[in-house]
Amino acid sequence: MSTPGDARIVDRGYRHYTGERRGRRGAHRALFVNSVQRALGLRRKFRFKLIPISVAVMSYLFAIVFVGVAALLPDGLGEETVPDYASYYGFVTAAILLFVSIVVPEMLCVDRRTGMLGMYLAAPLTRDTYLAAKAAAVLAILSIVTIGPLLLLIVGYSLVDVGPTWPIEGFGLLARIVLAGGALALFFTAFGLAVSALTDRRAFASAGIALTALVSAAVVSALVETSVGMPAALRVLDVFNLPFELVRRIYGERGSYPEVGTATLAAGWLGWVTSCAALVRWRYQRLVVTK
Amino acid sequence: MAAVTTNPPADPPIIRARGLVKRYGANTVLGGADIDISHGVTGLLGANGTGKTTLIGMVLGLHRPDAGSLAVLGLDPVSAGATVRERVGYAPEHHNLPGDLSAYDFVRHVAEIHGLPRKEAINRASDMLWQVGLGEERLRPLGTMSTGQRQRVKLAAAIAHDPSLVLLDEPTDGLDPNQREVMLALIHRIGNEFGIDIVVSSHLLEEVERICSRVVILAAGDVAASGSLEELAGAAAGVQIDLDDRVEEVAALLHQAGVHVEVTGSRIVASSTLLAEPGLYDAARDALAQSGASLRRLGPRRTSLEDVFLEIGRRGAQVGAR
Repeated sequence: MSTPGDARIVDRGYRHYTGERRGRRGAHRALFVNSVQRALGLRRKFRFKLIPISVAVMSYLFAIVFVGVAALLPDGLGEETVPDYASYYGFVTAAILLFVSIVVPEMLCVDRRTGMLGMYLAAPLTRDTYLAAKAAAVLAILSIVTIGPLLLLIVGYSLVDVGPTWPIEGFGLLARIVLAGGALALFFTAFGLAVSALTDRRAFASAGIALTALVSAAVVSALVETSVGMPAALRVLDVFNLPFELVRRIYGERGSYPEVGTATLAAGWLGWVTSCAALVRWRYQRLVVTK
Repeated sequence: MAAVTTNPPADPPIIRARGLVKRYGANTVLGGADIDISHGVTGLLGANGTGKTTLIGMVLGLHRPDAGSLAVLGLDPVSAGATVRERVGYAPEHHNLPGDLSAYDFVRHVAEIHGLPRKEAINRASDMLWQVGLGEERLRPLGTMSTGQRQRVKLAAAIAHDPSLVLLDEPTDGLDPNQREVMLALIHRIGNEFGIDIVVSSHLLEEVERICSRVVILAAGDVAASGSLEELAGAAAGVQIDLDDRVEEVAALLHQAGVHVEVTGSRIVASSTLLAEPGLYDAARDALAQSGASLRRLGPRRTSLEDVFLEIGRRGAQVGAR
C-alpha cells in the first residue's frame, strides 16, 4: 500500500498513435455528424437550440393535433376535415422556409467566416467531399421537417383507423411521402447552399433565402396573372411555390397551377437543383483558404 | 539571385520541391524554387508576400503547382492529397476560430476529421490540451480565450492526430512577449521531444533562430538560402574585433596585412580568402600590438540569421540595380 509520501503526479508525456486511421471516409462522417449537431444546436448553449428545435417541433405540432383529433372524434370528422398528406405541407410551409433560412447558412457561412474551412481542407477532405458532407447534413436535417411529420401522420392515422389500407396502399403512400419530402428537402438544400455560398454573413444568407423565395413568388405571380401573353411555364421560376406544387403532383393531385404540366415542373425543379449545385461548386473551387 | 545553399541534409527530405512554380494571374509567387526540408524544426522565412503561405498551401495539396514537382513525405500532395493531409497537422495564421466551441470540442473535432475514431479523438484532445498547458481551460469557449491561448489550442489541434509533419503558419502572430516565450518553448518541445517534424513559417528572424535547426529563406519567389543555422552562419566566417579607440588605425594595419576589413562604429570584422582563421587572429594581434588600441573583445564573427537575411536583401538589391 502506498503512503502519502509516495503520491506523485504522473506525466504520461506525449503518446504516439498507432491505431486505426479512417481517412477520407472518417473525415466525411465526422464532418457530417458535427454539421448536423451544430445546426440543431446540440452540444451548444440553449440559445442555439431554441430556434431550430422550436421550428422542428412546430412542423410536427399539426400532425400531432390532426392525429389527436382523428383519435378523439373519429365519427365527428368527415374526410374534408382531416387533411390529406399533400395538403399537410400547406400548414408547415412557413416552418419549412424558416427552418431552411436558419439552418442552411449555419452550415456554410460560419466555416468560411471563422476559417474552419481551411482547417477542413487541411484534413483528408477535398472541396467536393466537404460540400458533399455539408449537403448531406442539410438534406438530413431538412428531412426532419419535410418527411418526419408526414411519417408521423401516416402512423398516427393508421393507428386510429383513418389511415391507408396496408400493405399495398400504405407502402405506396409511404413511397410518395419519402419521394415528395425528399424532393422538397433536396430543392431547398441546393437553393439554401447556393445563397449561403455567396456571403460569409449568416444573417445576410438567412435574409437572402427568405427574400429570394418570397420575392420570386410575388414577381412570378404578378407576371403570370396580370401580364398578357406571359407563359404559365414561368411558374418554374417561383422558388417558393415550385417545389410544393411538384409535391402535389407526386401525390397525384392537380395542384394550384394545373396549366403547368408535371414534366415542366419536374424540369424546373431539376434545373434549379443542378444550377444551384453548380453555383456552389464553382464558388468553392475558387475560394482561397490557406490564410 | 544566387542562393546560399549549404550541404543538403543526409536524411531523405520530408518536403522536396524541384523547379516549383506558382502563379496567380500575372503575379509569380514561386518562380522555380528548389527546396529540401529535412527532419527536425525548420524555419520558413521570408518577408510578407514571398510565398510562404502559398508553399504551405501547396504542401497541403490545396494549390496545384503550375510547373515543377513537389513531394511531401514521399507523396505527391495533389494526387495523394488525402493521404498526405492525414499525416500532416496544420495551424493556420488566423485565430478567429468558432467562438462558442470549447477548446476540447474543437481539438476533438479536428482529430476526428483527420481520421481518428471518436474514442481516440476524445482521449487525445484532452491529452494534447494538457500538453500545451490548457488542461484546466479545455472546456472554455474559444471566444473567451486570449490570442495566446487560441494559438496554443491551434497547436494542440495540429498535433492531436499524431502527424508526421506539422505546418505552423506564423504561430506567434499577435502574441505578447510572455505568450511568445511559451509558444516557442512548446514548438521546441514538440519538435525535439515528441519527434514530430515541424515547419514554422515566420517573418521574425529572432524566434526562428531560437527554435529551428534549419531554415529555408524565400525571397523574390525563390529560395535565397537554406541549410542549418550553423552552416549559414559559417558561410560568413571571420574575426570580430571590438575596440574602445584607434579603430581606423587598426583597420588600416589589417588592410596592409592583406585582410579584408569591414568597419561598423567601433567594430571591425576581418576576413580573408587567403588566411585561415589562426592567421586572421595573428594579423589582428599584430595590428592591436602595433597600434596600442584598447581591446574590448576579440573572437569569431557573430553571424546572426538577421545578418544572412540582410546580406540576401543586399544582394537582391544589387541584382535589381544592374
